[in-house]
Amino acid sequence: MEWANDGKSKGGVLAHLERLEIQVNRSRKNLEDLQRAQAVESALRTKIHKLRCLRDELRAEVKQRQARVRASTASVEHDQTLEISEQEVMERRQEKVKAILQAYRFTGLSGKLTSRGVCVCISTAFEGNLLDSYFIDLVIQKPLRIHHHSIPVFIPLEEISAKYLQNNIQHFLFCLCEYLNAYAGRKYQADRLQSDFAAFLAGPLQRNSLCNLLSFTYKVEPRSQFLFRARLLYKDLTTTLPTDVTITYQGMDALSPSWEEQRASHENLFFSKPLHQVFTSFARKGEKLDMSLVS
Amino acid sequence: MDAQRAEVRALEAEIAALRRACEEPRAAGEYGWRARKSLREMYQSDSEGWASSKDLRSHLGHLESELLFLSTLTGISIRNYSMKTEDLTNTEKTEKSMKKVLQRHRLSGNCHMITFQLEFQILEIQDKENLSSVITDLNIIMEPTEYSELSEFVSRAEERRDLLMFFRSLHFFVEWCEYRKRTFEHFKEKYPEAVHLPEGAASSCMVVQSARQRGFELVIVWRVQIDEEGKVLPKLDLLPKAPQRALQLDRNRVLETAPLGFRALLGTLGIEAALESLIKSLCTADYDKFPANMQACDLPHKQLLSSADRRHL
Repeated sequence: MEWANDGKSKGGVLAHLERLEIQVNRSRKNLEDLQRAQAVESALRTKIHKLRCLRDELRAEVKQRQARVRASTASVEHDQTLEISEQEVMERRQEKVKAILQAYRFTGLSGKLTSRGVCVCISTAFEGNLLDSYFIDLVIQKPLRIHHHSIPVFIPLEEISAKYLQNNIQHFLFCLCEYLNAYAGRKYQADRLQSDFAAFLAGPLQRNSLCNLLSFTYKVEPRSQFLFRARLLYKDLTTTLPTDVTITYQGMDALSPSWEEQRASHENLFFSKPLHQVFTSFARKGEKLDMSLVS
Repeated sequence: MDAQRAEVRALEAEIAALRRACEEPRAAGEYGWRARKSLREMYQSDSEGWASSKDLRSHLGHLESELLFLSTLTGISIRNYSMKTEDLTNTEKTEKSMKKVLQRHRLSGNCHMITFQLEFQILEIQDKENLSSVITDLNIIMEPTEYSELSEFVSRAEERRDLLMFFRSLHFFVEWCEYRKRTFEHFKEKYPEAVHLPEGAASSCMVVQSARQRGFELVIVWRVQIDEEGKVLPKLDLLPKAPQRALQLDRNRVLETAPLGFRALLGTLGIEAALESLIKSLCTADYDKFPANMQACDLPHKQLLSSADRRHL
């Protein structure tokens, strides 16, 4: 070979070895580099895997949190709607209760609570006509006490309250109702007689404050000359029909049988019908009489 | 490798963002709370809001207690009520100064065991000087009860359109029926062997039998009547029953005159004492261990009833 003849060739062996060594070293280095790179890569892979896991966890958590937030806002809204509908229910109930409280006046007794007790309103009516109402302010304590009232003085309030106020307030109130309604009824009848049938009356209608004693002079027809005198007494203050009726004929001393008959029938009428209705029947009879005269 | 590094960076960035997002929910919750708070503030400033709902609740509570009080006070509870109005001023040829309003009312409720449903119309006429309110139509519907006495009274109240009388009489009627029931129960309890209530304590009939003298029986019929004017009055009758042979032996006609005697007794003693003495007279032997002047149960209306009895019987 060439390197045996040549000095260079001697050196060439060494150099060859050197080269070989460098080659080996180089390839070892390459291998090491490769190994190192591989390690880095696998580390990276592991890292990526870990990071992905962490990311997924965090994503899930974020999702959960968002859902929770959404739910809580929704629940705020939900609460709101609940609250409003409950409020509506209360408002409706309030209107209903208010109306019912108002409606109590139709039972004759209504009332309002006061700081010390109750203020009761007593309504009166005669047949379908709604008339005045009165109040009585009661202090609820033992014993029960009447603080104020608008009940007319001639109504025997003291007597009624002495009897029933302490032991049965309900009975006390309904009793008072009875007295007041009867008074209102008698007064209404007398007023109607005066206003609607003035033409049948000769002179004024006389009455006491309780309207339980009425006396008046009347005729059966506005143009009639024959006068009757009536005296009506309502002994029971809780009634609107008289307990005593006296009808006398004014003018002639001796009464003819037909007049006596008429007088007696009037007495019966006054006993059984309200005053203005008695006169309505007189008026109707008068009309019939007119009609019969015409025909 | 660079791609991997890039992915790592991307992941790290996403994670950082997610971490921030995870911190945020606390803030988001805070936001929710703040939102609620501001909502509440908004409502509080609003008169129809939550704060007033508290007021509403307390006001409603007050109204409810007033209602309860009224129903206890009157013994009448109204469950439902409604009203509609109709202005008739323009529909009819009326004077200009006159105002006519028709109200249609519906009302239902009960007075103790008696339930009622009412429909009525009120015509309100307002002119220059005064206001008049007249019930123009009244319908009363009542569930059929054991109290047959009521139906006649109801039609009379309808005819007279007397709403207040209806309630007043109903109250007194129920009061008397309750009193009758309590009295019957009292005697049944006190004289269990002699007193019989064949149709129950709420009926109008009480039978007194002698344990020793078989065949002798006193039937007390206690009715509660409502008259033309709506006045409620008790009516008691005594029907004595005796064997035929005893009637033949009754030379002084005690049994025949007993009903009248009972009336007189009622007039002087009042209902309770009259019944007591009647029971005793038939069952003296059975009950002589009881002192003669033993008082009946302490009934709240005793005073009222005895005076009322004397007046009406």
